[in-house]
Amino acid sequence: MIVLNSIIKKFGTFTAVDNITYRIEKGEYFALLGPNGAGKTTVVRMLLDFIKPTSGSIFIDGIPVSNPEARKRVGYLAEHHMIPSHLSGLEFLRRHASLIGFAGKDALMEVDRLLEVVSMKGREKETSAAYSKGMKQRIGLAAALLGQPKLLILDEPVTGLDPIGIRDVRNILENLRDDGVTVFLNSHFLSEVEKTCRTLAIMNHGKILVKDSIRSIIKDDETLEDVFIKYTQKGK
Amino acid sequence: MNRFFKITGYTIRDQMRHKSFYVLMAFCLLFVLMIRGCYSGQYVVNGEPLDNITIAWHVSKIVFQVIVSGMFLIVILISMKIFSRDHEDGSLVLFLSRPVFRRQYILGRIAGTWFLCLVFMFILHAAIFLTVWVKTGVVIPGYLTASLVCSINLLFITVSVCFLSLFLPDFISAMFTVGILFVGYISDGGYQILNSEILKKAVPSAAASSPALWRIFYPKVYMVQAYADSIIGQISFINMGPIHPILNVSFFIILITTLILVVFNKKEI
Repeated sequence: MIVLNSIIKKFGTFTAVDNITYRIEKGEYFALLGPNGAGKTTVVRMLLDFIKPTSGSIFIDGIPVSNPEARKRVGYLAEHHMIPSHLSGLEFLRRHASLIGFAGKDALMEVDRLLEVVSMKGREKETSAAYSKGMKQRIGLAAALLGQPKLLILDEPVTGLDPIGIRDVRNILENLRDDGVTVFLNSHFLSEVEKTCRTLAIMNHGKILVKDSIRSIIKDDETLEDVFIKYTQKGK
Repeated sequence: MNRFFKITGYTIRDQMRHKSFYVLMAFCLLFVLMIRGCYSGQYVVNGEPLDNITIAWHVSKIVFQVIVSGMFLIVILISMKIFSRDHEDGSLVLFLSRPVFRRQYILGRIAGTWFLCLVFMFILHAAIFLTVWVKTGVVIPGYLTASLVCSINLLFITVSVCFLSLFLPDFISAMFTVGILFVGYISDGGYQILNSEILKKAVPSAAASSPALWRIFYPKVYMVQAYADSIIGQISFINMGPIHPILNVSFFIILITTLILVVFNKKEI
């Protein structure tokens, strides 16, 4: 589903991503972990073609990410999800629906369904200026889920959510996992990753330190936190 | 192509939601209503009364240019914030996280802004046109055609401000564009005055020297307005150099739009 070939990304003399090569298979529920500044968000931004790699190539479903067609069945939720303040949640979702090809009644039904899923029914007509951070995140998740995407790219999806919101998101993501949707999760919430993901990679200083299934990475009597600290503190 | 039209539509709707748009529109309509009285006054020059039609003709030509100049300021104010606002409020991510080409986004935003301003200007010109018609019974030929001719200047300003705002702060890019227009006005306006029939008769040597090459190829925003004025007045148009101002401005629009697409394609979001 996702293929990264020898990706290097430099900002001036600083190397944010240093020669990463890996592939994420269809239906894989993958988490990318790493401390702040490890290069995780840079990888996400390159997946969406928001920034170009200095060298290397990235493909989604066999299509280079520089071609917008690669994003046809991709849902994306940013860490600090923003909604233009003059738009209501409903209008925001309708725009997303329209851009991926939904029209008329289909768009309304799809938006309505997702408002139920993210528990925002009844608040959808308020302008986003009135939304809390958690509510914006819920609308953002609904936008990412529009059109039944094959791939979901989630950058810190539970940031700003209360415990109920976190549980709701977990349930939604578990359902998607069961439906065979590929999920690329970038998160600091290790406990959530441990509960939901099947494979993960730990990244630091722009390099992938380890990539494997959670079962293989976490040994007996260890938690994901122990593994995370072990890898990211190596050499300090 | 479909997404380009969608983004154009969103741009028009988004701009129309801003309160500042309605404040500007209200001011402009107020201005048009205020000058309505000029058409029915009694005017005397050197003891000779002037007929209403002559007055209406001249006032309409002046107001035409005032509206165009006002629209220049409005289009600058609207255009300078297109990219920075989209970046700040998440609209950029909304569009580009979907299967939208960057060129569709850029061209949709530019087309939407231009179309909105074009319609805005046309409504104001049409209001003057109708006022003259109702008050004097005279139809000014070419008045609305001239409005459409001037809309090419609005597009030039939109793309110029957008291009500069990719590198410079919004206000600086707006001021820079005003500077470009100002230089053109001085250069082309000076040329028109020096080549006017009255000055040629008074000072025959004044128009003898040919203009410098940069003046011939400089964006001819003023000349487009002068051309529009010649359409209204049905008078001959004094051009500078062999290139028609509409072709000159069109060339710059294509050039700057191409540069925007190239630069924005490499831009990191």
